[in-house]
Amino acid sequence: MDQFISLLTDPVAFWNSHTLLIGQIGINGIIATSMFLVLYSGQLSLAAPGFMAIGAYVSVLMGNYWHTPGVLNTVTAALLAGVVGLLVGLPVLRLRGVFLAIATIGFVEALRLGVILNVPITGEGLGLSNTLSADPLGGINVIIVSLIVIVIVVWRLTKGRLGNAWAAIRQDELAALSQGINVARYKMIAFVISALMAGYAGALEAHLFFNVDPSDAQYGVTRAVQILTFAVLGGSGFVLGPIVGALIITLLPYIFGAAGDYINVLAGIFLIVVIVFRPQGIVGRGGLALVRPAWWPGSRVRAASTG
Amino acid sequence: MLLRLDDVTRHFGGVHAVDGVSLEVEDGSIQGLIGPNGAGKTTLVNVITGYTRFQAGRAWLQADELTGLPAYRIAALGIARTFQNIRLFKDLTAVENVLIGMHTRRRDDTLAQLATLPIFRGAQRSRVKDAYALLETVGLPTSVGTRHAATLPYGDQRRLEIARALALKPRLLILDEPAAGMNPSEKQGVRELIERLNADGLTVLLIDHDMRLVMGVCKHIAVLNFGKKIADGTPEEVSTDATVIKAYLGTGGEREVSSAPGAGGVNEETEVEQAAVTSKAAREPEKAILDVDDLTVSYGAVVAVRGVSFRVAKGEVVALIGANGAGKSTILNTLSGIIRPESGRASFDGLDLTNAKASSIVKHGLVQVPEGREILARQTVLENLELATWARRDGAATRTRIDAVLKRFPILGERRDLSAGSLSGGEQQMLAIARGLLARPRLLLLDEPSLGLAPQMVDEVFRAIEEIHKDGTTILLVEQNALRALAIADRAYVIETGRILLSGSGDDLLHNPAVRRAYLGG
Repeated sequence: MDQFISLLTDPVAFWNSHTLLIGQIGINGIIATSMFLVLYSGQLSLAAPGFMAIGAYVSVLMGNYWHTPGVLNTVTAALLAGVVGLLVGLPVLRLRGVFLAIATIGFVEALRLGVILNVPITGEGLGLSNTLSADPLGGINVIIVSLIVIVIVVWRLTKGRLGNAWAAIRQDELAALSQGINVARYKMIAFVISALMAGYAGALEAHLFFNVDPSDAQYGVTRAVQILTFAVLGGSGFVLGPIVGALIITLLPYIFGAAGDYINVLAGIFLIVVIVFRPQGIVGRGGLALVRPAWWPGSRVRAASTG
Repeated sequence: MLLRLDDVTRHFGGVHAVDGVSLEVEDGSIQGLIGPNGAGKTTLVNVITGYTRFQAGRAWLQADELTGLPAYRIAALGIARTFQNIRLFKDLTAVENVLIGMHTRRRDDTLAQLATLPIFRGAQRSRVKDAYALLETVGLPTSVGTRHAATLPYGDQRRLEIARALALKPRLLILDEPAAGMNPSEKQGVRELIERLNADGLTVLLIDHDMRLVMGVCKHIAVLNFGKKIADGTPEEVSTDATVIKAYLGTGGEREVSSAPGAGGVNEETEVEQAAVTSKAAREPEKAILDVDDLTVSYGAVVAVRGVSFRVAKGEVVALIGANGAGKSTILNTLSGIIRPESGRASFDGLDLTNAKASSIVKHGLVQVPEGREILARQTVLENLELATWARRDGAATRTRIDAVLKRFPILGERRDLSAGSLSGGEQQMLAIARGLLARPRLLLLDEPSLGLAPQMVDEVFRAIEEIHKDGTTILLVEQNALRALAIADRAYVIETGRILLSGSGDDLLHNPAVRRAYLGG
């Protein structure tokens, strides 16, 4: 906790000394927004780490081999993630709910275990060295600006005809069909935009560090679950929800830093408490007011049923 | 001709849900579509609107062929619908629901949304204004606009669903049971709304169980039964058609048809109230094993049973009859402790049924054979019966009991090792009854034992019921097949929209024209 005191006393020093942390928060914020978009359109997709991996590896490989500028690499990698999103979406978007989640996890693991850890050009288990194009200091401005632009774009998208269609699909696919909404098409649009965003975030993340690490926590199921937690913790009803979730999850190791080895236990308890009290997420409907669960002593629901 | 169906067919496995139906809906008309429970009405709507594929036949909306189109294209062609079980976008506001209904009429505004220029704001503002106008059209106040759909009262949700359908600017509006679960005054409101929309030039295809609504509002009615169209004509023609009466009141009712009154046309509420007199021989027993007093049951805002009182004496067969949605099954489910009543009392041989747990009610000897049978299709006949007795764990006695039941239903004895799902509908019903008997009932509740069965199987099921009765079991029977139920019942109660309309001896009611009216509203 001590290290955050400088945020108040000397913000400039804090900014300079926590570049990587701020960058990671921004990147997780973009990924959280990508997760928000699929959830907003009613799709429980856990494919984001796969698209991030595509973004990361493609952009770094382009820089390492072709020495092309970072902007071009990042944009190309994001577009390619979008194309892969389209191809993956064609078969898997027929599935719903938990089945879609499992299928997208299948994609994530097949990509990581089957391709990344097996193809020599990716550096296999060692990952890629990124010393040429990594930019931990300059990259942070790009990340923050990207996050702001992406949030505004996604927020505006949810307000128009497109967003209305997504909301309708999320609430009731059959009823959406009877309003003339081409459900398959609108789901695909959300899925592909979400893949683009995840790919972009993956490329940015790769340039924040000197090494691209093909671990489970980076591009596997563990990351997928972490991203889902952003949305569940923050709430997926409004675009800022998952970003708040990402902020908290990314800061958890610092907040509970003093707990040493017990940090994961404390973080877990914290998550359970939040979810019990705010099942709709921190930025859910009904503002930030605490909603007490029905079994809590003195809760209104309970009082009504016993009285 | 606005909508034309030609020989439309849809089977599910061996069930002929829709079997060669041809139908024409005239432009600007209100067409009714009626039929007993399970007749295939909703399946037909699902085929027309693209939710279920055509198996055979074709359909056109004016010049546009609908056959084989996906649901969203059919909606875009101008067919809007509502759903039997309301399907609003629950967590969105009423206005958002209506805006989504405008989907096909709106141009894509993605770029406009991103630019958020004031010029584009105007379009959105006028759409919201349109949405509020539609809410007003269906009779919803402006204050409802910003409320979440799920928080609206039931009747308002039905209205909102119609507003959403109207937002499509449809050529044809299909209403699937718009008045289901409504009280008479709400129904009157729906009727006025349909008539008003039609007066503005909208063609409506109306499906409803409430005959008074359909007969009153439609100039033309088609009747489905077992997936086939059995009649098509004016309300007068349909309500006096012998096949229709038979489909609604059940088989074996030929003598009833002859005693039916002339074409009644449209009946008003008051006339039915007058019919609500108890016929002479309806003496209720002094000493009852089952005593129901002023029972009221609600599902949320929907009142399904309104102050029903009746009694059943030991050794009687009592029937509750009435059209679909009358509240009959709800009464049974309340008696067996599955649903809790809102008010009123019900007791069975000293046990308060409104408070007792479902399991202790069964132990006390009140056993229900549920509607739709609910057997375990993958288990064998014998396994189904054994599972029904698993709580007893008194090996030999259970075995004797199962053997006795199998003797009572020899056909089940023959098929004891076949999977229950492979049995015919009638055999499955026998199995469900047999399973009920294993719980040693003193009062057996039978919910629609003849539902979906061919006439011959209906005979067999009713013969079995009579035999069980002879063995000394008291029976409370719920049936749509009124004539069959009345033929075996000592006494019966006619239920309509959650109330007891008539009661009397089975014989009396069999010849009472008001029974027919309760079903056909004519």
